[in-house]
Amino acid sequence: MQPNHLETTHVHEVYNLIADHFSATRYKPWPVVDSFLRELEKGSLGADVGCGNGKYLGVNKEVFTVGSDRSDKLIEIVQKRGFEAMVCDNLSLPYRDACFDFVISIAVIHHMSSPERRLEALKELLRITRTGGRILVFVWAFEQEGKRKYQEQDVFVPWKMPKKIYCPEGQPTKGSTPTEEGSQDIVYQRYYHLFVKGELDELITRTGMATIETSGYDRDNWYCVARKT
Amino acid sequence: MRLITHNMLQCHAKGCDPSQSYPLELKEVQLESLDAEYSEDFIRRLIPKLDWNVLVHTAFALGVAELPKELPDVQDEAFLRKVHQVALETRVKEAQMVCNGCGHVYPIKDGVPNMLLQDNEV
Repeated sequence: MQPNHLETTHVHEVYNLIADHFSATRYKPWPVVDSFLRELEKGSLGADVGCGNGKYLGVNKEVFTVGSDRSDKLIEIVQKRGFEAMVCDNLSLPYRDACFDFVISIAVIHHMSSPERRLEALKELLRITRTGGRILVFVWAFEQEGKRKYQEQDVFVPWKMPKKIYCPEGQPTKGSTPTEEGSQDIVYQRYYHLFVKGELDELITRTGMATIETSGYDRDNWYCVARKT
Repeated sequence: MRLITHNMLQCHAKGCDPSQSYPLELKEVQLESLDAEYSEDFIRRLIPKLDWNVLVHTAFALGVAELPKELPDVQDEAFLRKVHQVALETRVKEAQMVCNGCGHVYPIKDGVPNMLLQDNEV
């Protein structure tokens, strides 16, 4: 699939710009992901596609997980932490078919900007999973319980970071959103597609490559565990 | 990149001949070794998941180790430790990974493969 301007500007470039700050705020594993990983059979091989700063790569020491992300700045952080990692794109994964026992996709698919691209991303995750293997997918929910409320499913979500730490004077602020004079923050806009109830399950079913085992809602996200058929 | 990961990587450029896209050939290689905790159970479970021929060939081509061409029936500790050393403790620090099908080159820098393609290759 051809690259998409919205994703290039409001996902890929933004994550590279906010990588350090993003990583500093991402350390606590979500409970559903944590237990999925801990319950894996010893010696399992897996991929964390869109691994961010790699916070899930060390959860279970008895499995081997390869991390990947579209952002080379995030992968630099993952590599420094001693985890296995590479730069690649979810829409065209560089792994052979059916080579993994499990694949996780945590807060990734919601950055794809059309139904076709989201479907293709899921098909790629399932292509690299062996028959009988499982995938765990988390995406942001339209039905938010927290303070955020949205009117539409396709939105920009601002990422604010303190100027004085992450953008010392003289540094360019390319791609940032203009802020009021005197603001202490530098702001970038990330593109999200917010999933409505049932949408993730429907999309996974539409791949024709998996059956859904569990699905649910957790901390403003929809998630799904599906088994490759 | 550890050699276990190389065992799973294939070229994914558009139009690349699937019969030629795996494995990727490692050229201009700089290796480093690292310590990984040894677990007999883990290695035993891992072996059937690897493409054995590719691991044997890669380990030999890089001068890392000589592994038996056929998987031995009796897998003793010496053998399992060798597989552990090859797959988990041998890391490619710098290299060019070349596809024998389409000639695409994927660089590895500071241990990190960059598997992104150009816009016209996807």
